[in-house]
Amino acid sequence: MDFEITADQQQLVDSVRAVLERECPTALVRDVVENGSAPEQPWKSARELGWAAIDLPEEHGGLALGFAELGLVVEQHGRFVAPGPFLATVTGFLPLVLEAGSAAQRERFATPAGAGELTGALAIDHGRAAEHAPGEALRARRDGHAWILEGERRYVLDGDVADELAVAARVDAGDGVGLFVVPQGAAKAQRVVALDASRPLAHLRFDGVRVEPDRVLGPPGAGAHALGRALERATVAAALECVGACQRLMELTIDHARNRRQFDQPIGAFQAIQHKCADVYVQVQKARATAYFAMMALAEDDPRRSLATSMAKAAASDCQRLVCKEGIQIHGGMGYTWESDVQLFVKRAKTLEALFGTGGQHRQRIADLLEI
Amino acid sequence: MQLHYDAETEKFRAELRAWIEANQPTLEEMRAEPMTSSAHLTGWSRRWQRCLFDAGLLVPGWPPELGGRNLPPVQQLVYHEEMAKIRTPRTTNPQGLGIIAPSILDYGSDLLKEKYLLPTLRAEIAWCLGMSEPGAGSDLAALSTRAELHDDHFVVSGQKIWTSGAHHADHCFCFVRTDPDAPKHRGISVLILDMKAPGIRVRPLPELIDPHHVDFNEVFFDGVVVTRDHLVGELNQGWSISAGSLAHERGMMWLSAAARLDGMLAQLFQLARKPGPDGRRIGESATFRDAIASLYVDAQSMWFMGYQGFAKFARGNVSPEHSVLKLFGSEVAQRAARVATEFQGVDALDVDFLQGTRYDDSYPAPWMRQYLITYGATISAGASEIQRNIIAQRVLGLPRR
Repeated sequence: MDFEITADQQQLVDSVRAVLERECPTALVRDVVENGSAPEQPWKSARELGWAAIDLPEEHGGLALGFAELGLVVEQHGRFVAPGPFLATVTGFLPLVLEAGSAAQRERFATPAGAGELTGALAIDHGRAAEHAPGEALRARRDGHAWILEGERRYVLDGDVADELAVAARVDAGDGVGLFVVPQGAAKAQRVVALDASRPLAHLRFDGVRVEPDRVLGPPGAGAHALGRALERATVAAALECVGACQRLMELTIDHARNRRQFDQPIGAFQAIQHKCADVYVQVQKARATAYFAMMALAEDDPRRSLATSMAKAAASDCQRLVCKEGIQIHGGMGYTWESDVQLFVKRAKTLEALFGTGGQHRQRIADLLEI
Repeated sequence: MQLHYDAETEKFRAELRAWIEANQPTLEEMRAEPMTSSAHLTGWSRRWQRCLFDAGLLVPGWPPELGGRNLPPVQQLVYHEEMAKIRTPRTTNPQGLGIIAPSILDYGSDLLKEKYLLPTLRAEIAWCLGMSEPGAGSDLAALSTRAELHDDHFVVSGQKIWTSGAHHADHCFCFVRTDPDAPKHRGISVLILDMKAPGIRVRPLPELIDPHHVDFNEVFFDGVVVTRDHLVGELNQGWSISAGSLAHERGMMWLSAAARLDGMLAQLFQLARKPGPDGRRIGESATFRDAIASLYVDAQSMWFMGYQGFAKFARGNVSPEHSVLKLFGSEVAQRAARVATEFQGVDALDVDFLQGTRYDDSYPAPWMRQYLITYGATISAGASEIQRNIIAQRVLGLPRR
């Protein structure tokens, strides 16, 4: 049992942080949010430095370092409210392809995604994600050797920008889960006016989208296991990105409390502010420790992985609720403005709270798993 | 980073479990002679602590002559994990073993070590800790119990309060003011007092749950004579001893708090299976399920945060986790008990408690009693508000006023 980051892991974290600090300033995030720009960075760095291949097996050109290393890199992306395809491609699309795809499909989709030459998204039902269910809104039916997708997927992260979409749909066979990969454009995409414009969301309409056998991941009706395992990775990654964003917002808030003077003293000298900051610190510590536990549980394929995943998302939920509230409040009027960076972190954290199951949904899942 | 322990550590755990199984007091022994205060050495507790001492399992990080076996930090962690899980406490005088013995070891003269250290470790004597006073609670350095030095002896006058187990203790590890003119942190010393010395009077202060349950006391000192050789450390060095003493207490305390929380969760799982005031199974309520899952996350996160702090501690780094864990653990426990009482509804109002004692985990206490008892942890040993001040000022670097 060791919760300490190893020297190698720390080196990775430091290097990722240094790169993101240089290549992903909040000015870049603002340009995405305000002008809809599509900057090369930080995805370019991720591609060049192999971040997308950290948890990819060597046979697909990956570094095979493990999920803990990937998780630490994701946390740093949260710290810089990084925009771009990293989260959806590496922690959503890739896990499902790797869990469910044949060797040929993994070679076709995972190898280029790990190399940063292909971007991907994971089209699942966020409302049912905590329980690993495919939901009823998108159904797949057999048509000879091919399958037909009918219905919709809402709030798909990178849903209208990713090159390829890994899709979970309800089928009337076996365990009820079918998994597919469809190219961008196969479904009709409608961009959502999203809270965090640096995390694009789209509704996807599938009007009889035909999927040929080479794009069907595993036998439909036997996909529940793979979907669950992929969702666990996506969910823990969302929790870690949320922790990273909360950590930075906490730091900004404490800096503000130290520097902002009223009544001839820093507002951080007032106990009312100090106690809010202490509570924020406790929640960030709790969320990070719980997310790290889940990260290790996935890395080691520990039997507690499902429970750990839901705990991580629930703890991240508690954390963002308090950090966002006190982050804005302690910043006072400035925290209420568009100009302040506070809003960027709040919107990222709230987005991550809603994706892959809210804290409340994951608590219901925990109660199920504990057989309450 | 890894979730599992290495094979050698797991081998130690297995051996330790087998040893505990073979040696720990039976439930019958414990029920026959319940521990009634935190300085109450019962027959079974004396035998058990002596047995731990002789086996080198009392303070496993210490050398064999002090009841240890020089265990490395990871095995100490496993030791405390296992000890936290069993029904029998390591000692029935926790402040003696956890705070006073290490302080005597660190600061005491050869005479004091010889006279008090081994007898404490072997459960031959019990201690109370004279810290808080009516005018010095959270502001401990404001204490005013006076000790005047006359050649070879001190004369002590004043009052302590919240002194756990004072009515059972043989000795008091007592913080006194020896220089009233110095700044308040610099005029404090520590004396070892014999609780049978003339001039000491103990008045019990029962807790809000039960007029017959006494752990706390008021202790009055009226011209108590203490020989100078019973000064611990240097004259007026008491404040640094207090910081050192409490640090010992904090090192692994989170483990027993985390284990107690796990115990409360296990009781909540049982409550879920019982009918609530409306006759339906409590666990069917979505509100209850949400609350219990939230508590479960928090109880588990106690372990994860504790392990994170331990990883730093084991590598010789300072960690601020103890304030976080003390604050968080005590408040989660309070919430757990409150949630239980709210879902019990009127059933929470029956606090009949004829079976066993609060120290005997085999008889879970009524939830409302547990709820009221949890205030002991959010107030004592640095109230929650003090912990928040510490986190804000020492960890986050916010300015002091």
